[in-house]
Amino acid sequence: MKDFLKVGISGVRGVVGETITPQLAASFARAFGSFVGQGEVLVGRDTRPTGYMLEQAVVAGLQSVGISVGLTGIVATPTVCHLVAERRARGAILITASHNPVQWNALKFIGQNGMFINQKLADEFFDVYHQGEFKLAPEEGIHKARVIEDPVRTHFEKIIRYVDAARIRGRKFKVAVDCCNGVGALYSRLFLEKLGCEVVTCCDNPNGIFEREPEPLPENLSALGELVRREKCDIGFAQDPDGDRLAIVNEKGEPIGEDQTLAFAVRQVIDHHGKGPVVIHLSTSLGVQWIAEQRGCPVTRAKIGEINVSTKMMEIGSVVGGEGNGGVIIPAIIYCRDSFVGMAVVLELMAMANRTVSQLRDEIPRYSLSKEKMRVQGDRVPALLRRLRREYAGYPLNLSDGVHVTLKDSWFHVRASNTEPVMRVVGEAPTREEAVNLTASVMAQIRQWMAEK
Amino acid sequence: MKTLRVASYGIWGSVGDALTPEVVIDLAAAFGTFSDGGRVLVGRDTRRSSPMFHAAVVSGLLSTGCEVLDFGVCPTPLLQFFVRQYKAAGAISVSAAHARMGMNALALINSGGAFIEPVGGEAVQDIFHAKNFSHKPWDGIGKVRAVTDFADAYLDALCGFLDAASIRKAKFKVIIDPVNGAGCRFLPPFAERLGFTLIPINSEESDHLGHDAEPRPRNANQVAALMRVVKADVGFVSSSDMGRLSLVSETGETASEEYTFPLIAAYVLARRSGTLVTNCCTTRTVDKVAAKYGANIIKTRVGQAYIMAALADEDGVIGGEGNGSVALPAFSRACDAFLMMGLVLEAMALRQKTVSALLGELPRYHIVKKRVYGETRQCYRALENILEKQAWQAGGIVDLMEGVRVDWPDGWVHLRTSDTEPIIRIISESESVELAENRAVEFVRMLEQVL
Repeated sequence: MKDFLKVGISGVRGVVGETITPQLAASFARAFGSFVGQGEVLVGRDTRPTGYMLEQAVVAGLQSVGISVGLTGIVATPTVCHLVAERRARGAILITASHNPVQWNALKFIGQNGMFINQKLADEFFDVYHQGEFKLAPEEGIHKARVIEDPVRTHFEKIIRYVDAARIRGRKFKVAVDCCNGVGALYSRLFLEKLGCEVVTCCDNPNGIFEREPEPLPENLSALGELVRREKCDIGFAQDPDGDRLAIVNEKGEPIGEDQTLAFAVRQVIDHHGKGPVVIHLSTSLGVQWIAEQRGCPVTRAKIGEINVSTKMMEIGSVVGGEGNGGVIIPAIIYCRDSFVGMAVVLELMAMANRTVSQLRDEIPRYSLSKEKMRVQGDRVPALLRRLRREYAGYPLNLSDGVHVTLKDSWFHVRASNTEPVMRVVGEAPTREEAVNLTASVMAQIRQWMAEK
Repeated sequence: MKTLRVASYGIWGSVGDALTPEVVIDLAAAFGTFSDGGRVLVGRDTRRSSPMFHAAVVSGLLSTGCEVLDFGVCPTPLLQFFVRQYKAAGAISVSAAHARMGMNALALINSGGAFIEPVGGEAVQDIFHAKNFSHKPWDGIGKVRAVTDFADAYLDALCGFLDAASIRKAKFKVIIDPVNGAGCRFLPPFAERLGFTLIPINSEESDHLGHDAEPRPRNANQVAALMRVVKADVGFVSSSDMGRLSLVSETGETASEEYTFPLIAAYVLARRSGTLVTNCCTTRTVDKVAAKYGANIIKTRVGQAYIMAALADEDGVIGGEGNGSVALPAFSRACDAFLMMGLVLEAMALRQKTVSALLGELPRYHIVKKRVYGETRQCYRALENILEKQAWQAGGIVDLMEGVRVDWPDGWVHLRTSDTEPIIRIISESESVELAENRAVEFVRMLEQVL
C-alpha cells in the first residue's frame, strides 16, 4: 500500500520512507508540544529499527516549542502511560506501530492523564497541526532533553504491590515468553523473575525484526507452543511489539485464544481485588461478559478503540476491562492496555485457584466468533444501519458504533469500517456453525435491502 | 530579528522564528541524499539550541541511509580533521560559530574536510528546495555510532605537525578564552602536550556564552585585564566553534582579529613560501607580508568555502581571512584555532620574540568600519547607483568580486551588503587615519543620498 498515511485517533501511521519521515514526525511533535502547552512531554519507543531516527526528530520538534523532553528509551506503551500519570507530565509521544509489520512506524499521542488522547482532543490537536502556527521558543526558551533513569521501576513496583506476589513466588512457576522481538525482550524476564518465575523466552532479540507475525493470534504462536512443551512450562505468554497486548498458551502448548486473557483477568480482579463494573468493547467475546455477570458485575460495551474503552471505564468507575484482542486494562495500575499487569494477574489466578491454564479455560463457556465484511457504497451505510436498528428494535441494542444486537446466547455487530470501504459484520454464538449462520443471515438480510433500491 | 540564510556552505538563522528543526532536517536529508547514504560525521557546540538541531540533523541523515558517526560536542575544525581519518563522505557541524546567542547554523563539510565547495553546495540546495530526498525504507535507514575519546588522535596529529619540543621548552604561560564553547574540554590536554601553563577563562562548557562569540578586541577585554596581572606571555580569544582566533599581547594590547592571519602567514611563509589565499576585503597587511616573502597571493569572495576551494585549486600553502581565521592545507582543510594557537606559540618559541614584537613586525594600517541602514532590496540597488557615478573612481582599480572594492595607491574602500542585517558595510583602510575616516564618511554620504 504505497503512500499510505493514516492520521486519526490512533495517531499518525504509515510506511517509513514513504509517508513516515523525520520531517513529518518533527512537524507533528511540534504541533503536539504547542497543543499540550509548556511542561514535560515524554518520548518513548519500541524496538523497531526506525525508532531512533524518529525519536530524534520528535525530540527536536518538541524542543522547538519549549517543551522539556523526558526520554524513556525503549519501553512498553503502558510504562510510558504510567510515567506520564506519575510525573504529572503534559503527555507523551510514543513511537510504535504496535502490531503493524516492520516497514511501518507511527506516532501515538498520550494525554495528561496517561491515556491516549480521545476523539475530541485529537480533533483539536490536528487543528493545531493544520493551522500550522506555532509559537516557537527563542533560544533561551529551549530545554534540555533528559534521560529518565530506570523507567520501568515504578511501573513494575506498582504491579507487584497490586498482586499477591508472595503467593505467586511460592508456586515457582515455569513461564515461557514470546517477546515478539519487542520491548518484552528487554523487560519480561526481569519482571517475571521478580515474581519468582523461572523464565524461558523466544523471539527475544530486541531488534524489532519480527520472527513471527506481530499480532498474538493463535496461528502465530507455534514457536511459543513448542517452547512450552519442550521446557514443560506451566504457561506461555505472547506479547506484541510494544507490550500492550497479551495472549496465553496453555501447559500443553496450545493457544487458548487471545480473548481469554481478558476473561482470566476479569475473573481474578473481581474475585480478589474488588467487585465493580466491567467495560469491554462491542466485539469482545461473550465469555468475558459471562464471567463478570456470573459474579454480579454489570458489563458495559464501549465503541471499538482502546481510548473509547478506557474513557468509558473512567466514566463509570470500572475495576477491570479491555479488549478481546488480548488487551487488559486495570485502572488501579493505569488506564492503558498492559501485558505486564495481564501476566501478573493471570499468574495470581493460577496460584490462588491452584488450577492449570487448561482447567481454568474449561471453566469459561466456549463461544465461537465469525468475522465477515461486505462491500457497501459509503453513502448507503447510514440508511442500512437505520433499517437494521428498526428491524431489531425488540432486542437489547447498543448504537454507539453501528448496530450491536444482543440475542439469546449470541450477538452480532454491524458497523462501517474506519479503514476500508466495507461494513464489518461480526457475530458470536456457542458453536462455529451457529456463529457462521448468524453472520450469513444478517448479511443476506442486508443484501436484500440493498437490492430493493 | 528574523534572519535566515541558506547558502551553499550551509544554513544559519535565528532560533525560534526562522531556523526550525524542520528546515534543519530538510537540509540534513538533502546533504544525506547528496552524499548517497555514505558515512557522515556530526558534531556540535555548546549552545542551548545545538542539541535540538543536532538531533534533527541525525534524524535527517539516518532517513536517507547515511551512517552517522556522532562526535557530540566537538569543535568544527576537529570534525573537519576527522572526515578524512574516518574516510567519511562528509560532515555536518551544528554551531553558530562567532554569531550571537539566539542564532544557530549548520556547516556542510565535504569528503576532504573542507566547507563544501560552491558547486557541491548548490547541488545540495537544489535537493533541499525541491525536497527531492531519497528517503530509505526501514531496512535502508542508517545506523548511528557515538565516537568519544577522539581528542588524543587529533592532538597527537597536531603536536606532531608543530615543533612541540621547542614550544615545551619555552614554558609559556597562556590565557585562553574559548567563550564557553566547543573548545573547552580540549584545552587542558592541549596545554599539557605543549607544556604551557594554561590559565583558562570562560572555559566551562555552557549554553550561556560569557560574551559575544566573535573574537575581536571588544570581546578580549577580560583576557587583556589579566595579562599583566598573571604575567602571561600571550592571550587567545576564540569563537564558540574554534574556527576563529584573536590575540592579546603580553602588554594587554588587544590586537585586531585582522592581524591573526598576517602574523601567522609571516611566520609560515618565511619558512616555506608558496601561494597565499585570502578574501577580497582583508587588510593590505596581508598583501605586504605576501610580497615580503615572495608569495603569490590569490583573492576570493568572502567565506571559508571560497578560501578552501582556491587553496585546493592553486595548491596553496596558507589561507585565511581578516576575521581571525587561518588554515594550513598541510595539516587540515579547516580554519583551526588550535592550529593557530600552536603556530603563534611556535613562532614565539623559535624566534624568541614576544607577541608585541611579532605584531610590531607587521606593517599596520588604519581601518575604519561604518554601516548604512537600508532594506535588503534597496541596498543592492544603492550599490549599482554608486557604481554609475564615475567621478569618485578616478585613479582607482575597481573590483566587483563581492560588492564593490576600489583600490588607490594610498588605501582602499570596500562596500558590501551584509549577509545578516539590512545594512551596507563600508570598510576603509589607509596608512593615514584621516584619509581612512574621510573616505568612509564620504561613502556613507553618497550611499545615504542614493538610498
